[in-house]
Amino acid sequence: MRWVIGLIAAVAVLIALPLVVESAFAIDICIRILLFSFIGVAWNLMGGYAKQLSLGHAAYFGLGAYTSTILQINYDISPWIGMVAGGCVAMLASLPIGWLCFRLRGPYFTIATIATAQALMLIFLKFRDFAWGAEGTTIPNLGNAPLMMQFEEKAGYYYVVLGLLALALAINYKIEKSWMGYYLVAIGEDEDAAEAVGINAPRIKRDIYLISSFLTALAGTFYVQYIYFIDPATAFSFNVSIEAALVSIVGGIGTLWGPVIGTVLLETTSALLQSWLGSGIGGIQLTIYSLILMAVILWRPTGIMGYFYELAARRRARLVKA
Amino acid sequence: MADALVIKKLNKRFGGLRAVQDVSFTVRENETLALIGPNGAGKTTAFNLIMGFHRPDEGSVTAFGTEIVGMRPYQVCAQGLARTFQVAKPFGGMTVLDNVMTGAFLHYRNPEEARDKAREVIEFVGLSARESTAARDITTIDQRRLEMARALATQPKILLLDEVMAGLNPSEVDQAVALIDKLSGSGLTIVIVEHLMRAIMAVSKHIVVLDHGQKIAEGNPKDVMANPEVIRAYLGSYAHSPNGGVA
Amino acid sequence: MVGTIIQAVINGLLIGGIYALVSIGVTLIFGVVKIVNFAQGEFVMIGMYISFFLSTQLGIDPIVSLVVTMPVLFVVGVLVQHFLIRRVLGPNDMPQIFLTFALSLLLLNLSLMLFTANYRTVHTWYSDEAFHFAGLYVPYAKLIAFVVAMALSGCLWVFLRTTDLGKAMRAASQNRDVASLMGINPDRVFAVAFGLALALAGAAGSLLMPFQSAYPFVGQVFVLMAFIAVVLGTLGNVIGALVASLLMGIAESLGIQFVGADSGLLVVFVMFLLTLVFKPNGLGGGKAR
Ligand SMILES: Nc1ncnc2c1ncn2[C@@H]1O[C@H](COP(=O)(O)OP(=O)(O)OP(=O)(O)O)[C@@H](O)[C@H]1O
Ligand SMILES: [Mg+2]
Repeated sequence: MRWVIGLIAAVAVLIALPLVVESAFAIDICIRILLFSFIGVAWNLMGGYAKQLSLGHAAYFGLGAYTSTILQINYDISPWIGMVAGGCVAMLASLPIGWLCFRLRGPYFTIATIATAQALMLIFLKFRDFAWGAEGTTIPNLGNAPLMMQFEEKAGYYYVVLGLLALALAINYKIEKSWMGYYLVAIGEDEDAAEAVGINAPRIKRDIYLISSFLTALAGTFYVQYIYFIDPATAFSFNVSIEAALVSIVGGIGTLWGPVIGTVLLETTSALLQSWLGSGIGGIQLTIYSLILMAVILWRPTGIMGYFYELAARRRARLVKA
Repeated sequence: MADALVIKKLNKRFGGLRAVQDVSFTVRENETLALIGPNGAGKTTAFNLIMGFHRPDEGSVTAFGTEIVGMRPYQVCAQGLARTFQVAKPFGGMTVLDNVMTGAFLHYRNPEEARDKAREVIEFVGLSARESTAARDITTIDQRRLEMARALATQPKILLLDEVMAGLNPSEVDQAVALIDKLSGSGLTIVIVEHLMRAIMAVSKHIVVLDHGQKIAEGNPKDVMANPEVIRAYLGSYAHSPNGGVA
Repeated sequence: MVGTIIQAVINGLLIGGIYALVSIGVTLIFGVVKIVNFAQGEFVMIGMYISFFLSTQLGIDPIVSLVVTMPVLFVVGVLVQHFLIRRVLGPNDMPQIFLTFALSLLLLNLSLMLFTANYRTVHTWYSDEAFHFAGLYVPYAKLIAFVVAMALSGCLWVFLRTTDLGKAMRAASQNRDVASLMGINPDRVFAVAFGLALALAGAAGSLLMPFQSAYPFVGQVFVLMAFIAVVLGTLGNVIGALVASLLMGIAESLGIQFVGADSGLLVVFVMFLLTLVFKPNGLGGGKAR
């Protein structure tokens, strides 16, 4: 019961936030936090629960971004529809990519995912006929056009990405509580043992990859609508792949709230750095991120959520003894 | 009684090594068959071949009349076969209960039902006190119990047990023997790999002996133990391995 | 036409020598320590910056500066192995992958902060010189780099075949327990393997400097190439990595020549993906079931 009240209160605060906060900079940070939490949750479904450590999710981010933008600019189709279409394109793409990459295990799976995302970026760099090549394109600004996913106020974008995150968390929650969640963790722990108890590991991995890439593609559409610009380097940015994994690991791999907590920590750190030092010094953000990542891996491999669980378990143990 | 598991002319090579050579045997329904042999005889490999973890080079395996060679392990499991691993493979980060639930999901997709079924099996193998401990934090002996519980949760008709009694003290062996008797009493067909002769004699009336991948003897315990080839195989293994192979 | 092809093959072969140094390092670490070093390319980058500063500050020729970069990076490798890698060795993939990955990010972004994204170039007397024969063109700088790279690979091969430590490494890459049976402290074997691999990366950096600009992202090009070569050449196999690297260089060069200046990498990726499709088991990463 306390749990439900807490959740309702949190949702109320999140909905009221843009009405209270005036600063565009602050809203922008909130949007970034929600967006990367969303991407993190999408990654975590596959990377965290099933431990299929992909560093190629930018592939789906980019496919989502390009699908909706091409549909919008060339065919005047609303990005709302384009977003779903992008998700479907990403799902289709994940089938052959998954078929290839899942043949490898461990670090070589990771490398193969990097390679496929990079290959997609190179393809979009090369083919200017349907996708504007390396220069990319700006997305026409229509003023306030909610039906075309464009808003004059940043608050509009805020609510869109808040909705996306809520959707992803709901999906994640459902999966975690069902047989699928148990199967994912089992596959992540030991694929042979998982198959021995009747788990069709290839199919489960394929299915979760479909879901994960679909969600990641939605983020891509949202992002290019938000910045009004697309080019291969942005849409297929390796940084997207990195951050998706990073926020999950720092926050707590394979937990519902891990990616959200990880993103809050990393993005506020980076926003603080930016306001102290200005954005003049290139590389400082990722320098700090990588130090945090190393610290987490060396001292808290279960992430922040894992640490909370340990504390809770210890407290329970003490209560039992007392 | 009907045949549960029929193995015919099974062969597996690893590079130049013939790990399993022309092995055939039949397990009757509700029988407990013991598969024995010195270290490296090919017992675990035979299990891997039956369960689909390795693909045999030649040979056939039928379970209740269905050919299962060429199936993947999860398909074999769906045919009603389950196994334990000689080196336990628990899902370390999950609790004991969750581990066993993954097995129960095969027949009960609803988590509540799966949980109930899992609890029954955990109770049966005597792990209830450890139910909410992470599997990586329980003793190796408890991990073997967990292996059994997880396999049983899939409600198999044929159970393959790979050295589940290794490292147990005498009273624990008695418990394990009682457990296997109880399983057999409930109608299960069991193939057990074990080095401990006392336990084998207690649970099984039919023994198959492997050595260097080949079946060298088969029959009731007394005849098999008196078979000169078997004695030679075991003596040879004493002579070769510094710590004396067989328990 | 034939001339163009031969020229492209020569170009590819020469750069493939550098790829070989990087991928032999990756494969050595994978074979012995059983981890994939995502930061290998960043050590090439560090090697390049060391050579760059030695050259601009002290006037030392980049190729001569090998004698500095290799020992420095060897020590760095031993330290990295001792203080970082050693702590995450175990059955779990996640910390291993992301520790070296974090190290790669850290080095890359630190150098972005320290050195900015500017391109740094060293101009030597042989930078613009080349052999000309039969209409073909072989730049001195790349030729020297290739020859030295092959010589270093040869030295490593001899080291692995003849010395006790080298034999222990080969044993370790086949079976962990054998190494400890040989009475050699595995920690030492690991540290030396890591050191050697990084020394090779440093050497690659120095050899690149006369014809390639240094910038923080430079290592990424090489490491990607190296990973692919290592996967193609079967993991943990030095000769395989060498041959695969040379082939990758040639494929890339042919791609640049015949598909377009920006398509070298694309061709290589396509090759990689095709290999995944048709030869998944030759790729050591796919564990036998
Ligand atoms: N995946 C594999 N690749 C190569 N060789 C293998 C493989 N699995 C088993 N072997 C070899 O096959 C032979 C039979 O091994 P197996 O594990 O089946 O023996 P076992 O009878 O179970 O012995 P133990 O009593 O020691 O468990 C051994 O020589 C072993 O080294
Ligand atoms: Mg065995």
